[in-house]
Formats: sequence, C-alpha cells, structure tokens
Amino acid sequence: MQEIIIDISSDGEITIESRGFKGKACLKETQFVKDLLGHELASQLTPAYYETNKKSIKRYLKLCG
Amino acid sequence: MSHVAKIELEIKSLEALIQACRRLGFEFVRDQKTYQWYGRWMGDYPLPEGITTDQLGACDHAIKVPGCTYEIGVVKRNSSYTLLWDSWESALRLKIGQDAGVIKQAYTVEAVKQDAKLKGYRVIEKKTDTAIRLVLSR
Repeated sequence: MQEIIIDISSDGEITIESRGFKGKACLKETQFVKDLLGHELASQLTPAYYETNKKSIKRYLKLCG
Repeated sequence: MSHVAKIELEIKSLEALIQACRRLGFEFVRDQKTYQWYGRWMGDYPLPEGITTDQLGACDHAIKVPGCTYEIGVVKRNSSYTLLWDSWESALRLKIGQDAGVIKQAYTVEAVKQDAKLKGYRVIEKKTDTAIRLVLSR
C-alpha cells in the first residue's frame, strides 16, 4: 500500500515519510506536501528508493538439445 | 519506506490559519492592524528573521487567545505570513507552546487536509500525546 505519513509534533516539527513507493515516485508523490508546507531541511533515502517498478525478465538460452 | 524528510514550515494559506484558529478555539480577527503586547522590546527573545523592533505591534491580522491579554500578530511578508507575539505572558506561552508550535501544528494539519483532499487523497488523522499523524492514501 502506498502512503504518505506526516507527523507534526506539538512544537511544530514536521516529518514526512513515504511508504510503499519504489524509486523516484516517492519524491514526486510527496513534493506537493513539501511545496504546501515550506521547504525541506533534510531528507534521507531508504532502500526502497533504489528499487524500481520494472520487473526483471530472466531469459534462458538453450545451450544444448 | 522510501524516504523521510524534515520540513521547515512557512505559513502560506490564510484560510488554513483561520481553520487552525477555529480548531484551537482561538479567534482570528481579520484586518486588525495592531496586536496587544508589552509595547516595548526588552531584548529578552530573538526577533524573527527580517523583523525589526519598529515593526513590533503592527500586523495585518490578529489572533486572540481566550484567557490571554496579549495577542498574536499575523504579518504578511511576500508570499507567506509571520506570527509575532510577546512571550512574556505565561498564559499565552502555555496556550500556544514553544515557538507557537501548537498553532503551527494545527495549521499544518488543516493545510494538508485541505490540499490532500483536493488532490484525491484519503486523509486519516491520528492523535498521540504530543503529535498528530496524518496518513494520506489513495
């Protein structure tokens, strides 16, 4: 499931997390929240960022017979 | 999780600020040009960036907080709004929190809810002791 999670503490600190997105889609999907609220102070990419939605296709070549 | 970002808030939507005041039980007074404060800057807290002592006490709109004498000034600067208040009054300090965090929290919730719904997101709000979590999905 794809979600954008925004935590806002009572001292006004805002953290945005994107979950379930693969690749650069997470940055694109959360950009409107960042534009709406202000500007980004820091960000950290997680391993899912480096995954893509493309399925890898395995090809087997007949070596004999 | 794909990425985590920290955001510095800019108050850009007056409508969301008005909704935030309503949510907190504060009164937003449109076009009130001065706000109540001590009247003289004592140098006991840092001024917001770009604000001089001459500008204190003047505003474009104001926020009245129940049970407090001092008010919050809302000053328009370019495309965003700055909040000005005198933190000397302890009642005001308690109601709006450190650095007006309570207002900023309510503003963020209202601004995100308004915009996310327009963009077709489903928004769920969850409260904890010190934070509010918004979960956007579609």
